[in-house]
Amino acid sequence: MHESLRRTLLLLMAWNCLGLLRSDAQQAEGLEYFETKVRPILVEHCYECHSGMERQGGLRLDHRKAIQKGGDSGPALDEDKPAESLLLRAVGYQNADLQMPPSGKLSDAQVAVLEKWVLSGAPDPRKDPSEDPSRGEAQFEEGKPTGMSIEQGQAFWSMRPLGTVAIPTPRQADWCRNPIDAFILHALESRGLSPSPQASGRELLRRLSMDLIGLPPDPREYGAFEQDVGPEAIDRQIDRLMSSPQYGVRYARHWLDVARYSDSNGLDENIAYGNAWRYRDYVVEAFNKDKPFDRFIEEQIAGDLLPDASLETRTATGYLVLGAKVLAEPDRDKLMMDTIDEQIDTIGKSFMGMTLGCARCHDHKFDPIKQRDYYALAAIFKGTKTFGDSNYGAIKHWNEISFSTDAEKANVKAVEAQIAEKNGAWTKLKNEAMSKLRQSVKQQAADYLAIASTLTSEATLNEWQSAGRELGLHPRVLANCRRYLDNHRQTPLFEKWHALADLGDFAGLGAHYRALFERVEHEWQKAKESDPQVKRLEDPELEAARIALSDAGGFLAIPAKMEHALDEASLKQIHELAEVARVFESSAADESSVMGVGDKGVVDGLPIHIRGSYRNLGGFVERGFPSVMLTSGSAPIFGRQSSGRLELARWLASPSHPLVARVIVNRVWRWHFGRGLVESTENFGVLGDRPSHPELLDYLARWFIESGWSIKELNRLILSSASYQMSSVHPEPESALASDPENRLRWYFAPRRMEAEQLRDSILYASGGLDLRLGGKSVPLRNRQFVFDHTSIDHTKYDSDRRTAYLPIIRNHLYSLLEQFDFPDPTMPVGSRNTSTVSLQMLVLINADWIVDSAHRLAQRSEEYSSEPPVRVDWLFEEVLGRQPEPYERQRLLDYVMGQPDASRARWEQVAHNLLVCSEFLYVP
Amino acid sequence: MFLKNKNAMGRFEVSSQSDLLLASTRRRMLQSTALGFGYLALRSLLGNTLAMGQDPNHRSEGSLLGSNGPHLPARAKRIVFLFMKGGPSHIDTFDPKPLLTRDDGKPPPFELPRVVFAQQGNLLKSPWAFSKHGQSGLPVSELFPNVAKHIDKLCILRSLHGSNPAHGGALLKMHTGSDQFVRPSMGAWITYGLGTENQDLPAFVTICPTLAHGGVNNWGSAFLPTYCQGTPIGNASQPAKQASVQHIVHPKLDRASQRKQLDLLAKMNEDFSKTYPQEASIAGQLGAYELAFRMQSSLPEIQELHTETQATLRLYGLDDPVTENFGRQCLMARRFLERGVRFVQVTHSDSEVQWDQHSDLYQGHTKNAAEVDKPIAGFLADLEQRGLLKDTLVLWGGEFGRTPTSQGNGRDHNPHGFCMWMAGAGVKGGLAYGATDDYGYYATEKKMHVHDLHATILHIMGLDHERLTYRYAGRDFRLTDVAGQVAHEILA
Repeated sequence: MHESLRRTLLLLMAWNCLGLLRSDAQQAEGLEYFETKVRPILVEHCYECHSGMERQGGLRLDHRKAIQKGGDSGPALDEDKPAESLLLRAVGYQNADLQMPPSGKLSDAQVAVLEKWVLSGAPDPRKDPSEDPSRGEAQFEEGKPTGMSIEQGQAFWSMRPLGTVAIPTPRQADWCRNPIDAFILHALESRGLSPSPQASGRELLRRLSMDLIGLPPDPREYGAFEQDVGPEAIDRQIDRLMSSPQYGVRYARHWLDVARYSDSNGLDENIAYGNAWRYRDYVVEAFNKDKPFDRFIEEQIAGDLLPDASLETRTATGYLVLGAKVLAEPDRDKLMMDTIDEQIDTIGKSFMGMTLGCARCHDHKFDPIKQRDYYALAAIFKGTKTFGDSNYGAIKHWNEISFSTDAEKANVKAVEAQIAEKNGAWTKLKNEAMSKLRQSVKQQAADYLAIASTLTSEATLNEWQSAGRELGLHPRVLANCRRYLDNHRQTPLFEKWHALADLGDFAGLGAHYRALFERVEHEWQKAKESDPQVKRLEDPELEAARIALSDAGGFLAIPAKMEHALDEASLKQIHELAEVARVFESSAADESSVMGVGDKGVVDGLPIHIRGSYRNLGGFVERGFPSVMLTSGSAPIFGRQSSGRLELARWLASPSHPLVARVIVNRVWRWHFGRGLVESTENFGVLGDRPSHPELLDYLARWFIESGWSIKELNRLILSSASYQMSSVHPEPESALASDPENRLRWYFAPRRMEAEQLRDSILYASGGLDLRLGGKSVPLRNRQFVFDHTSIDHTKYDSDRRTAYLPIIRNHLYSLLEQFDFPDPTMPVGSRNTSTVSLQMLVLINADWIVDSAHRLAQRSEEYSSEPPVRVDWLFEEVLGRQPEPYERQRLLDYVMGQPDASRARWEQVAHNLLVCSEFLYVP
Repeated sequence: MFLKNKNAMGRFEVSSQSDLLLASTRRRMLQSTALGFGYLALRSLLGNTLAMGQDPNHRSEGSLLGSNGPHLPARAKRIVFLFMKGGPSHIDTFDPKPLLTRDDGKPPPFELPRVVFAQQGNLLKSPWAFSKHGQSGLPVSELFPNVAKHIDKLCILRSLHGSNPAHGGALLKMHTGSDQFVRPSMGAWITYGLGTENQDLPAFVTICPTLAHGGVNNWGSAFLPTYCQGTPIGNASQPAKQASVQHIVHPKLDRASQRKQLDLLAKMNEDFSKTYPQEASIAGQLGAYELAFRMQSSLPEIQELHTETQATLRLYGLDDPVTENFGRQCLMARRFLERGVRFVQVTHSDSEVQWDQHSDLYQGHTKNAAEVDKPIAGFLADLEQRGLLKDTLVLWGGEFGRTPTSQGNGRDHNPHGFCMWMAGAGVKGGLAYGATDDYGYYATEKKMHVHDLHATILHIMGLDHERLTYRYAGRDFRLTDVAGQVAHEILA
C-alpha cells in the first residue's frame, strides 16, 4: 500500500474515534468523490461483468447493497478493516488467483482512487434496485437458477422413497405375461394404442441372442427353436443364453461403459493401465455368477474395507482408480482435488444418476445438491489413497495393490535390468555414432567455414549437399553453419569470415581458419603439457576459437535428431536395436498387482472450496452424504478408523436409497430395449428426462431389491414379457405414429444397429473366425509403459481374433472400429450409447482388412460346403442371415457371381462381404 | 424417426402424420442419435431452429450440416490452424524484449509463478536479433525471415495466456478449452456450428496430428455428434508423403470392381429398408455408403500434388528436404481449404516434442523455424494469390510460450504469457495486440486467455461463443465454458 494511503487510513481511524466521520458536509464530499472519480472507473472497468444480470463470481458492483453483500468469495468490502477489503486486494493484483479486472491491471492512479474511496467508508449513493419502486424485488433476484431446496428435492420424482405400486389392470389382460406387460399395455390402452404382435421365432431368437451374448444365433439353433413349441420354448432359450459364459462378456461390457473402463490413462500422458484387465475380468465374472448388485456396489467402492475383503474385492476398487487423470499436473494439490472430483462425478452418475460434479464450484444450479454435499463426499475421498508413492519424472503413479511373491519380485527386477540393458544397447550405439560425427565435423571445421561461404542461408539442402560433396561435408551441418554465421555477424571470431565471404575469397577464408584452428590445437596441447588442469588459453582470439570449436550449439552444431544426423546404415542398426528393446519391454513380466485404492486415514471434513479452488477456502463441512438423499434417521455415523468409504458403499447399497435401484433397473431396461424408461440414464435430475412409465420403474426397482438385487432375475423378467417379445414391425404404424411418434409407450420393438462389439464379433463369428476364450491381459504393453510418448507411434495391435470386449481400450486413440461405431468416450460413465450413421463407418465396413479377411474365409467355407452355386448362395444366407433367400435374391447373387467366370472367386468373396455388412445383418430386429 | 424414403439416395419425404412427431423428437434426436444421412435430411425438413437456421436444399451428409447459418456476419468461411507442437518461444520470434537482453544472466527481478514446471535459472537473452518489417514496422526475429515479409498481413497476439504448464494439459486446453475433462475440440464445435461446404469431404481434417498429449481428444467430438470429429490424415509419426486416412483403400479390389460390389450392396440394402420404411437410419446407410465411396477418390486426390506447378511446389519448399514435409502439409491444407473443408489443422511435430527446447534453444529453434518459415510464407502468398486469404482465417502458434529465464541453454514452458498470430479474413494486419511484461513472462496488457482466443475465433467465423451450445448430461456446454471475451480490437 502506498505510504500516503497508510497515513490517510490512520487519520480516518482517528477521525472515527473522535466521532467526526460522516458529517453531512463530508458525506456530500464523499458522494461527489464517488460520482466524479469512482463511478467512472466502475462503469468502465467492472460493470461489464458485475452489473445487472451479469454477476460473474456472484458479484454485482452496481449498487450499494450488492457491494456489501459481495460475491462467492465473500463481501467485497471489509467494514472493520477497509484496507483489507477484497475489492482492493483484487484491483491491487496482490494475489495471483484474484486479479481484477482480468484483462489487465488498472493504472496506479485508478487503484489509488478506489483505495481512497474504500478507506473513506465507500460512500455510495446508488440505491438498490429493490428500493426503487419501479423495479420489483423479484427482478432483483432474477438471474441464474439456484437449484432446488432440499425439501423440494425430496419431493422430486426420482428422490421420493420407493413406494408400493399397484399393478394396473388393462382391458386386454390376456396379452400380459407378467406385471411389466400390465404397465405397458395399460399405458398403451389409455392412448388408444395396441401393441405390435409377437415377433416371429427367427426375429426373437436373433434379438435374444444379440442382446444376451452379443452374437447371432448359430443357424442350427433356429431349427432347434422352431421344433421346440410353447411359451416355455422361449424361456428355455433365455436360460440357455444366460448360462453361457458369453453372457458375462456382453453384460460386463455394459457395465464397463458405465465404469469408464480403459487400458490406458489418456488425457495428458497416455501410459498403460497394465493391470486394468483384472478389473475387467472381475466384472465379467460378477455378471456370469450373478453377483448381487448391492454387493457389487460395496466391492467397487469399499472392497478393501469389507470384513471379508479379498483379492477379488480389492480388484473391484479398480473402479475408483480407472479414471483419466492429468498425471503430469505439476500442481499436486490440484491433481488430488481433480481426481477426487472425477471419482465423485463417476459415483454420482453411475450409481445415483446425479451430476454431483456440478456442485464442485457452487450449489448445483438445478438439482438439490449443495456445495456442502460435495465437500462432505470429497472428505471421504481425501482420506482415500488413489495415488501411489512413486512417480516417473513428472508423471505421478496411481495406487496399485501388489500380490506378487518374492520370487516373482526378484524375477521382475531381473527383467527390468534386461530392459535397461536393451535400451542401453541402442542409446550407446546412437551416442557413439553422434560423437563420431561431431569429431569428424570438428576436424573439418575450416572446410565447413569455407564451403559455408559459397551459398546463402536461403540455399536448399540439396544445394548444400552438392556443395559439400567433394569434401564429404554433412549438408545439414553446412546449412546450420551458414545460418549461425549470419546470426553472429558481430562475433569477433567470425568478422574475418564475413569480410572474406563478401569478397568471395573462400580459399583465403579456408586458409585463414585452418591456420587459426591449427594454432589453437598446437597451443592447447602445449598448455596442457605444462598444466594438465588448464582451463583456458591466454590469447583471447585463440580462446574464442577453442570455445567455438567445442560448442555443441555453435557453428559446428550437428542435428539433434539422429534421423537428420546419421547415415542410413547406422540408423537402421540403431532402429533395429531400439525395436528389440521396445518389443522386449512390451511383453516383459510385471509384478502381479491390481489397480485399487487404500485408506489414508480419517479426514473428518473439508472446507468448501469457493469457485472450486483449493486456494480459496470457505466454511468447514464434515464428511457425509448428499442430504437430499438421506431418508429420516439415516444420517451417517462414521467409524473413527477409516475414510468412510465403507459407510458410503453401504448407504448406496441399502434398500432405502431412493436412487440407486431406480438407476440400475432403468439401465438394464435400456440395455434390453435400446432406450431407458428414463432416457437420460446418467441423469435423474431436473435436467434429465422424466420416466415414460414412472410406476413401472418403481415397480421394477422394488422387485429388484426384493429379488436380492439379482441382475439375471431382472433380465429374465424383462425378456419373458410380451412387451419385449413384440415384433419390430407394427401392422398399422400410421395411427400409432400420430399418437406416440417417439414410441415412448413401446407399441413396437424398435430395431437397432449393432453396437461396435456386436458388429465385429458377429462378422467374425458368422465367418467362422471368432475366438471365444474369456479373460486375461490383452493390452500389449507393460504396466505404465507409454502407449506413445512423443513419437505418436501407436504400437497397439488389434489383430487378435478374440471377442471385442478383450481388445485394448486406448484412451486418446481408440481402435478405429470402436471410434467410428459410437463406442462411448471411456473417460465418463455412459449407460446409453449413441447410434450414428456416418460415412467413415462405411469406409471401415467396405475396406477394413479384417472384414475382407472374414469375407474370404466365409467364401472359402461356402466353397467347401458345395460346388453348386445355388446351394452355396443358400448356405451363405443361412450362415449369415439365418434364413433362406427369396428366389429373386438367390438369382441376383447368382447373376453376380456367374457374370464373370474368370473372376468368380473374387466375386464370391464380394458376395460374402456384402452379406456381412448389409443392413439386414447389421440391424437387430 | 419415421420417414418414408422416396428414392435411394437419401431424399426423404415426411408422411403427413409424422410432422407432429418430428417437432417433438427433434431435440432428442439431436442429442442422442446422429443418424447421419437420414437424420440430416430430417433436420433439414424440420427447418428447425435448434442449432441455427438452415438451407433445406442441400442433401449430402456434409452440406446439410453446412447449411446452418452463422449467428453473426461471418468474417471468415474457413480456418486453418498451423500448430507448432511443443511451445515456440514468443520472446525469440514475435515479441522482442530489450530489457531481457540488457539483464541477460541476472536473476529475474519478478516473482515466478506458484507452480512452475521445473526449476528455472537466470534471465536468458534471445540469441536472435529482431528487425522491423513492412509498412507496420513490426519486429520479427531472424528465425522467420520469410514470414516477416508478410508481416503486414499478420495480427500478432502478444498477450495470450493459458492455465496449464504441462504439454498434455496445455494442448487439451488449446484445442478443447478444457484440460481436465474430455470436451469437443474447437474444430468439432465449428463443424457443429457451420458444417462443411463440400459434399465429398469431411468438414474438419487434421494433417499429421500428434497422438501424444491428448491425442484424439484434440480433434475429437466428445459428446457432439460423431460427424463433428476431425478426420486425421496420417499422424506425427509419419512423413506427410505417406499420410492417409484409415481404410481409404480396399486391400485387394480396384475401383471398378468395388463399384460393382457396392451396386449389389445398395440393392440388398434397399430391399431391407423397405421392410422398415419408418427407420431413417436404415435408409441412411445407403447414402453413407455412397459418400464413403466418393471419399475414396476425393481424399487421395487432394494429396496427389502432381497437378501443382513447379513454381507452387517451390513456393512451399517442396524442393528442399528441410521444408519438404511441412511444405507438403501446408499445400495439402490449401487444397482442402479450396475444396470447402471448414477447419484444417496442420501440425508441426515429429518424434521429438518439436518446439520444446528446454535445452539447446538456439539449435532447436533454428531447425524448427527453418522447417516451417518458408512453407508458411509460401502458404500465405498462395492463399492470397488465389483469393482465398480474404475469407480464410490463418492461426499460428503453440500450446504455450517459453520462459525468459533459462534452463541451461534452453527455456522452460510458459503458459503465463505467449504469442500467436492470425492472418487473413477478419483480422487487422500489421497489428501487435496486447503485451507481456518487460521480460516476457506474464501477459499484462489486453490479456487474452485461451478462452478469449476461442471466443474471438468463433466470432470471426460468425459464431457467438455464448450461443454455440450443446445440451449434454443436463448442462449446456460451450467451447468457452463460462468464460471468453471477444477481442474486438483486432477485428478488421
